[in-house]
Amino acid sequence: MSSYFSVFRMRWKMELQYRGAVIGGVICQIFFGLILICLYRALYAGKPQTMPLDSVVTYVWLQQAFFRMLLSSDSELTDKIRTGAIAYDLCRPLHLYGYYYARIMAQKLLGSLLRAAPMLVFACLLPRGYGISAPVSVPAFLCAVLSLMSGLLCVCALENLTMGFTMRTLDARGMQALMNLLMMTLSGNVLPLTLFPDSWQRVITLLPYAQLLDSPIRLYTGRYAWTQASQIIFLQAVWLVILIALGLLLWRANQKRLVVQGG
Amino acid sequence: MNTIKLYLHSMRMLLKSQLQYPASFIMQTLAQLVMEGGEFMAVILIVDRFDKLNQWMPGDLFFFFGIMSVTFYLTECFGRGVTGAFPGMVRTGQLDTLLIRPRGVLTQVLCSAIDPRRISCIAVGTAALVIGCQRSAVQWSLLKVLLLGESILCGTFLILGLFMIEAVFCIYSVKSVELVNALTYGGRSACEYPIDIFPRPLRFVFTVIAPFALVMHVPAAYILGKPLFGWPVWAAITTPAAGLVTFAVMYAVFCRAMRHYRSTGS
Repeated sequence: MSSYFSVFRMRWKMELQYRGAVIGGVICQIFFGLILICLYRALYAGKPQTMPLDSVVTYVWLQQAFFRMLLSSDSELTDKIRTGAIAYDLCRPLHLYGYYYARIMAQKLLGSLLRAAPMLVFACLLPRGYGISAPVSVPAFLCAVLSLMSGLLCVCALENLTMGFTMRTLDARGMQALMNLLMMTLSGNVLPLTLFPDSWQRVITLLPYAQLLDSPIRLYTGRYAWTQASQIIFLQAVWLVILIALGLLLWRANQKRLVVQGG
Repeated sequence: MNTIKLYLHSMRMLLKSQLQYPASFIMQTLAQLVMEGGEFMAVILIVDRFDKLNQWMPGDLFFFFGIMSVTFYLTECFGRGVTGAFPGMVRTGQLDTLLIRPRGVLTQVLCSAIDPRRISCIAVGTAALVIGCQRSAVQWSLLKVLLLGESILCGTFLILGLFMIEAVFCIYSVKSVELVNALTYGGRSACEYPIDIFPRPLRFVFTVIAPFALVMHVPAAYILGKPLFGWPVWAAITTPAAGLVTFAVMYAVFCRAMRHYRSTGS
């Protein structure tokens, strides 16, 4: 276990090296957030909805802040698969799945925390109607944090599953583009899931993509009562088990038939 | 004329080389289709929930989305050298080889890459345009057809010009600068919707700094029969030229920057 933790720590330190890139990214992300908020404000001016505007604005800010968690970003692994360097990793006395799980988690966690902190501070300073509103209650906030954490576990498992497919097809781009799209659309980044048609929402909120950011945000804004939190976290746990089990199976099968590229 | 011939020739050759891997090409084109389809779906869902946006009806919104989508992806398809490949050329020193050939640098950069996968995005944009026209019952006339063509053509120059800002930064700092994305991709996201729904500061950005509104929204609004800010016909005819102006300015800046180019030399 401690070795997986040190993989996590190493990756964490590496992410910290690129602080300069973070600033540009944050400003860009804030700009995108403001554009979306202006759009929703204009839409709401025409036809108010049952979901209050403040919740939509909060939804947009939280989505933008933790955007980094959604993007599949470990290009190093896809390169390794293509060049055959993955053979070295097979020599390590570690379980390959766990090794990459720890790496991806470090990357996503730190990548999003570094960006989320300044963005949320900025979003707090904005005037009412443009800025983020406070969580509905303290327990709701704690539940949201908790479900954000289990959402993170889910998204890492999901990404490892994609990587498992990449090992089969070798070309990551088609698969990754498809995955990113599903992620962006079904997790509420393109359009808040709360604004999808109500009948769609009933299905979409059960999918793993909605567990990543949508569920925590709904707890935060009080769309789900915090007393429901146990149900949500149970659903997340179920998906986590399913995704990890599928991933492990796929990776194990891959290791048996692995053809190393290159030479 | 010679330059255009050269460009067309390189495009043909690049296209041929890209089509050598049909399976990969088809898969990526499909992925692009799903991506742009997802964006379009967002607009459809918004229309479904909100019915209209100020004075703009669903058909109008589809039309605005379509014109942006077609223009942006036409640029990404045929201007791939500027919109995607340039930072890599600077980083690897590949740009040096362009300097010793008897052609302009920009011409060669444009001739160096094509991205035919974008064809599916352009198709989605075209579909949005057609649906938009039908639902808004646009009365077509020769002038309107010409306006649409002018708007798309000037739009591609505008977007090329904006991506050249990134190229100029890149010449000085080697690294690509993510911040410029706010103007290019940010402009695409924002100006899929008509400019008059945004508050003043954003309007300023997308009218004066990155004039998407002048190039696309003014003529599009005229075509839809709801002139933006009540501007007359001649405004719709002249404002798209702002795209050409942006390109010309950025071209001048680009040429100046190239004089400061120091190879990464590795």
